[in-house]
Amino acid sequence: MAINLQKGQRIDIGLSRISVGLGWDPNEGTGHDFDLDASAFMIDANRLIPAEDFFIFYGNTDSPDHALHHTGDDPTGGNSEDGDDETIEIDLSKVDARVEEILFVVTIHDAVQRRQNFGQVRSSYIRIVDNTSNQEIAKYELEEDFSVETAVEFGRLYKRNNKWKFEASGIGYKEDLAYFLGKYYKGQIIK
Amino acid sequence: MAISLVKGQTIDLRKSDRGETFDLSTVTMGLGWDVRKKGGFLGKLFGGNEPEYDLDAVAFLLDENGKVADLGQTVQRPDGRRVGLYGGDVIFFNSMRHPSGNIWLTGDNRTGAGDGDDEQIIVKLESLDEKYQKILFLVTIYQGRHNGQHFGMIDNAFIRAVDARGREIAKFSLSGEVAFNNMCSLVFAEAYRKDGGWKFRALGTPQATDNFVDILKAYVYQ
Repeated sequence: MAINLQKGQRIDIGLSRISVGLGWDPNEGTGHDFDLDASAFMIDANRLIPAEDFFIFYGNTDSPDHALHHTGDDPTGGNSEDGDDETIEIDLSKVDARVEEILFVVTIHDAVQRRQNFGQVRSSYIRIVDNTSNQEIAKYELEEDFSVETAVEFGRLYKRNNKWKFEASGIGYKEDLAYFLGKYYKGQIIK
Repeated sequence: MAISLVKGQTIDLRKSDRGETFDLSTVTMGLGWDVRKKGGFLGKLFGGNEPEYDLDAVAFLLDENGKVADLGQTVQRPDGRRVGLYGGDVIFFNSMRHPSGNIWLTGDNRTGAGDGDDEQIIVKLESLDEKYQKILFLVTIYQGRHNGQHFGMIDNAFIRAVDARGREIAKFSLSGEVAFNNMCSLVFAEAYRKDGGWKFRALGTPQATDNFVDILKAYVYQ
C-alpha cells in the first residue's frame, strides 16, 4: 500500500536498505521520447556535495562510499512494463560521515527543446521503497501533481541523532538538472 | 573541475551498440580540427600572415588517487635545451613515449592540415600497468595566448577512439561552444577502468591557459 505523503511530512527510516524508483510509460504518440532522470545529491554540512562523485546521476552511477547505486539511464521509459525504469539503491549504513542529507530529484531531459512537461508523460511516478519488506513508503504521481513542471524535488533523507528520516518535499520546478546541480556544486557545469 | 550533464558521452570501450567486441590491444585516440580562417576566401588569398594553429595533444596517466605519480625528470637535450617532465607519466611533445612503451604520441602536427586525425595518441590499454586507473586526454593551443588564438575559432574539432583493427569505437564532436571562446586548452576526454574493462568519456572542459602545466598542477602530489 502506498502512502501518498503530504508535502513536508516526515517519516523515520528504521531500515538501512531502501530504494528510490522512478517509472513512466514510453511515448506512444509522435514526437520525442520522454527521458526522465532520477538523480541524488549527497550533501554535507556546507550544503554542498563533498566531491563530484557524490552527485549520483546517469553519468555517475556509484557514490565513492558505495552507499548509493543508480541502475543506469533509461532514455525512453521502456526498461520496465509497469515497474521502475530507473532506480537508486541506497544502503544507509555505508553513507560517508560527511554526508548529512541525500536529496532526490526527477528531471525531464531536454524538456525545453522537446517542449515537454510531466503532464504529457503517462503513468509517471517517483516512490521510495523499503527493500526489506518491499513496502512503499511514499509515492508521487508526477503527471497529476506536477503537470506543468519539468523537474521535481522529491524528498530528502536526513540524519538526526544518527537516525535517518525521510521528508517528502514535492516541490515542482520549471527547471533542469543543471539548476539543482548549481545549488550544491560550485564547479563548472557542462550542459 | 567540472561535471558534464551531456548524455550519450560515456561508452564502454569493449562493446559497440551492436554488441560487437572491440580489440583493445591497441587503441588510437585521434584528435582532429579545422581552423576557421578569418576573412573567408579573399582573406586566404591575401592574408596568410597569421601564425598557424599548433595544437598539441597531451595525456596524463593517473593513479588510483587521480594523480600523476611520476613527473619524470629534467634532462638536457643534445641541442643544449633543458626540458622538464621527461620520461614520466605525462605524454607530450617533449616526452612522446612512455617508458613502459604502452602509450605514445605519434608526432607533432603543427598546422592542423589535412582531413582526419591531426594528432594521435596510441595506447595499449590491455598492457597498461594496473596502477594506471585513468588517462586524461588534453589539447592545448601552443602559444595561443600570445597569438590570440582560442578554441572558439576552431571548427570540426573531434576526438575519436579507434580499435586495433581500425574500427571506430566512438567519436565526439567538441566544436561550436560559446564556452570555448578565449579558451586555449581543452580537456577532451578520459578513459578509465570500470568493472574490469575500460570506459571512455568525452569531457570538453575548457580552460583559459595555453600551458598544460597549469592544468597538471591539480593532478600532482603536493
